[in-house]
Amino acid sequence: MFKKHFLVAASSLGLTLMGSTTAAIASSDAAADFPSKPLQFLVAAGAGGGTDNFTRTVKPMLEEVLGVQSTVINLPSASGALAHQRTANSEPDGHTLDFASSTLVTSLAAGQNPTGLDELTPVARMQSDVMTLIVDPDKYPDFESFMAHAEENPGEVIIGGTHAASPDRMAFLSFRDASGLDINFIPYDEEGSVSANVMGGNIDGMFGEISSILSYMESGDMMPILVFAEERLGNFPDIPTTVENGWNLTDGNERGVFVNAETPDEIVAKLESAFKEVYDSDAYQEYEERVNLHYREGWLGSDAYGQKLEENLELYKRLLEQN
Amino acid sequence: MFESFLSGLAVVLQPMNLLILTSAVFIGFIGGALPGISGVILVVILLPVTYGMDPTAAFMLLTAIYGSTVFSGLITAILYRAPGTPEAVMTAFDGYPMTQQGQAGKALGIGVLSSAIGGLVGTVALIIFTPLLASVALKFSSPEYFALAILGLTVVASLGGRLIFGLIGATLGLLIASVGIDPLTGTSRYTFGSLHLAEGVGLIPVIVGLFAVSEVMKRTLGQETHQPLKKVSVKIFDMPILRRIGITLSRSSLLGVIIGILPGIGASTAAMVSYSETVRWSKHPEQFGKGAPEGIAAPEAANNAAAMGALVPLFALGIPGSGTTAIILGAFIMHGLQPGPMFMMTSSDLIYAVFAGLFIVNFMILLFSKPFIALFTRLLNIPYSALGPIIVMCCIVGTYSVRNSMFDVWLMLGFGVLGFLLEKIRFPLVSIILGLVLGPIAESELRRSLAMSQGDLSIFFTRPISATLIAISCLLLIAAIIVPLRKRWRIKAATT
Repeated sequence: MFKKHFLVAASSLGLTLMGSTTAAIASSDAAADFPSKPLQFLVAAGAGGGTDNFTRTVKPMLEEVLGVQSTVINLPSASGALAHQRTANSEPDGHTLDFASSTLVTSLAAGQNPTGLDELTPVARMQSDVMTLIVDPDKYPDFESFMAHAEENPGEVIIGGTHAASPDRMAFLSFRDASGLDINFIPYDEEGSVSANVMGGNIDGMFGEISSILSYMESGDMMPILVFAEERLGNFPDIPTTVENGWNLTDGNERGVFVNAETPDEIVAKLESAFKEVYDSDAYQEYEERVNLHYREGWLGSDAYGQKLEENLELYKRLLEQN
Repeated sequence: MFESFLSGLAVVLQPMNLLILTSAVFIGFIGGALPGISGVILVVILLPVTYGMDPTAAFMLLTAIYGSTVFSGLITAILYRAPGTPEAVMTAFDGYPMTQQGQAGKALGIGVLSSAIGGLVGTVALIIFTPLLASVALKFSSPEYFALAILGLTVVASLGGRLIFGLIGATLGLLIASVGIDPLTGTSRYTFGSLHLAEGVGLIPVIVGLFAVSEVMKRTLGQETHQPLKKVSVKIFDMPILRRIGITLSRSSLLGVIIGILPGIGASTAAMVSYSETVRWSKHPEQFGKGAPEGIAAPEAANNAAAMGALVPLFALGIPGSGTTAIILGAFIMHGLQPGPMFMMTSSDLIYAVFAGLFIVNFMILLFSKPFIALFTRLLNIPYSALGPIIVMCCIVGTYSVRNSMFDVWLMLGFGVLGFLLEKIRFPLVSIILGLVLGPIAESELRRSLAMSQGDLSIFFTRPISATLIAISCLLLIAAIIVPLRKRWRIKAATT
C-alpha cells in the first residue's frame, strides 16, 4: 500500500520536475492499470448521424472488452473541431477518446480545425464507406453518358454535396482534378437536400456513400455510376470504378477513434487491440452489415491509419489550393 | 389505403402499444414543457432504449414523443414567456400577454385545441397525400426557398410597433445569422478565431435568452407590478373563441403542412410564417403581441401540422424534413430498415401503425393536456423569488445540453441582458427572431440559386413557384407602403 502511494507520488513529482522524459517510466505502470476510471467518448458530430450511431454501437461492446463504464458526449460545434481540440487538451491517459469521421482531415485541410494530426494519435479506423458519383438514371443511364454530357457542356454540370469542407467536396475536387472536366459544386446544408435536388432534376448529380441510397437504387430514382475503389464491388459488379478509368481515387468517408498524441504507446496499443476485438466480434459485423458498411474492409491499425491520414491531408490541401 | 390504416389502428390499440403511446405522450409533455429540452434531445436520449424493441413499437414511441413535444412547448411559453421548445417561440408573443391579463386558462385552452387540430390536419395529410405531397416537395429547389424566405421577411412591414425598430431588429437578426463558417465557401465570418462561434449562434441560446431570461430579470427587478395568477382553469372547447379563430386555424394548419413537407425547414419556421400571415390578413393587426387569441392559434396549429408534414418526405423519399426527423431517419437505419422511395411498399405495416399512432396521439393531447397543465400550474403558487431562479436554471441546463457548450450558456445570458434592455424601449423582439431564422435560408438559397443559373438572376422569375412567391412579396410590400399613405390622404382630404 505504502509502496504504491510512494510510486504515484514519485512519478507525479517526476513528471512535474522533468516533464515528458519520466512519462515513459510511469506509462508501463499506467498501461497495466488502464483503464482506471470511466472512459469519455467525444463524438465529433451531432446526435443521430453516422458517427454518432457508430459511437453508440461500439460503446457497450468496448465496455465489455475493457470492463469499464463510459459516457458519450456529442460535440458537433465547428464540424467537430471542438471534440478534437478537447481531446488534444485532455489528460494523456487514454481515457478521453475522440470518435471522428474523415471530416477531421477535410476540415483540417480547409483550415477550419486548429487541431493538427501531430496533436492526435489515431487508435484505429473502424469503417470505410465507399464514395460514389450518384445521378438520376433517367438523365444519365451510365457513366459514359455523364462524361459525354459534361465534356460537351463545359461549366454547366452541377454536382451537389454537403458543406464546403466535407468528404463529398474532396471527392468532387479530386474527381474534377483527375478527369479534367469543367464541372461545378454546390454545397447544401444536409444530405437530404442534396438527394432531393438530384431527384427533382435541379442538379446533375452528387457525391455520396452507397449505403445511404440503396432504396433509391431499388426504386430507380437514383443510381451510382462511378465507384471510388480499386476493384468493382462484389455487390455491384456493373458499376465502373475510378481506378479502371485510370484515376487513383479510392477515398471514401472513414470513421475512426483518436486519443491525445502524448498518450503512452502501451495504452494506445491496449486500446487498439480492444477495438480490434470489437471489430472482429459477430455483433459488430452484424451491425456493419445492417447499415451497409460491409462493402469493404473497415479495419486499419493505428500506424497505417496515421500514415493514410497524412497522405489524405497532403492531397486535400493541394486540391483546395488549386481551387 | 384505408384498410392499411385500419389495420394500423388495430396494431396501435393493442394494450402494450397503447401503454407505449401513453407513456411517450407524457415523456413528450414533460420534455417539451422544460425550456431547452426539445424533441431532438428526447428522441436522441430514448433512441438506445428502442434498440431492443420491436421496430413498430420503437417508432410509435419515437414519433409520439416527437409529436407531443411540439405541443407542450406552449405551456411555459404562455405561462412564463419561456418557450419550452423553439417551435413555441411565436406562441409566447400573444400567450404571455394573455397570462398577464389573467387569461392564462383561456390562452392554454386555445393552444391545446389549435395544436390538436393542426396535428390532426397534418396527420390526415400524411396518411392520404404522402406520395403526392412528396413530389411537391421535390419541385422546391433553391429559388423557391429563397422566395419563401423573402415572403416571410416582408412581414416586418406589418408587424406593428415602430417600423424603424422592426427593420433594425430584422437586420440585427440577419447579422447574428451571418456569424460562423460560411456554408458555401467555408470562410469564417465574425468568429474572431473562436471555435465556439464557428458553427454560428444557435437559435436556442438567442430565444431562451431574449425571452425567458429577460422576463425573469424584469420581474425580479420588480419593474412591473404583477398580479399573482389565480387558479388556472383550462377551457379547451369554447365556442365563441372557436368561431373567432376558425379561419386562422384552417389557414395555419394548411400552411403548416405545406411548409413542413419542404426538406430542411421545420416547424419553427412554419410557426413563424403562419403567425406573420395571420397578422398580415387580420383586420386588427395592432392587437397582436398584446394578447390576440389568433396569435396563439396560428403558430400552434402551424407547428403541429408542420411536425406531421415533415414526416411526409421522410416516409415517401427518405429525406428528413427537419432536425428531429433526421434523427428518426438515423433510427430507421439503426433498426435495419431502409428509408427511401421503396419504404412505403416494403414497410407499409410499420408505417401505417406509426400513422395510426400519431392520429391517436392528437386525441391524447386533447385528453391528457388538461390534467397535465393543472399539475404544472401548481408551480404558479410557488413565490416568484423561488420560481425565477428555477426557470433560469432550466434555461441554463437546457441551453447547455443542446451542444454541450458552456459558451452557449454565456451567450444565452448575454442575450437575456440584451432582451431586457431592448424591451425597455419597446423594441419588437420578434423581428430579431424573424431575421435569425429566415436569414440563413435566404442567404444560402440565393447563392445556391445563382450558382445553379451561373449568376443569372432570371432564375427567380422563370420558375413558376418562385415567380409567384416573389410577386406576392412585392405586392404586399407595395400595399404596406400605399395603404397608410392613402389613409393619410383621406384624412387630409376630409379635413380640408
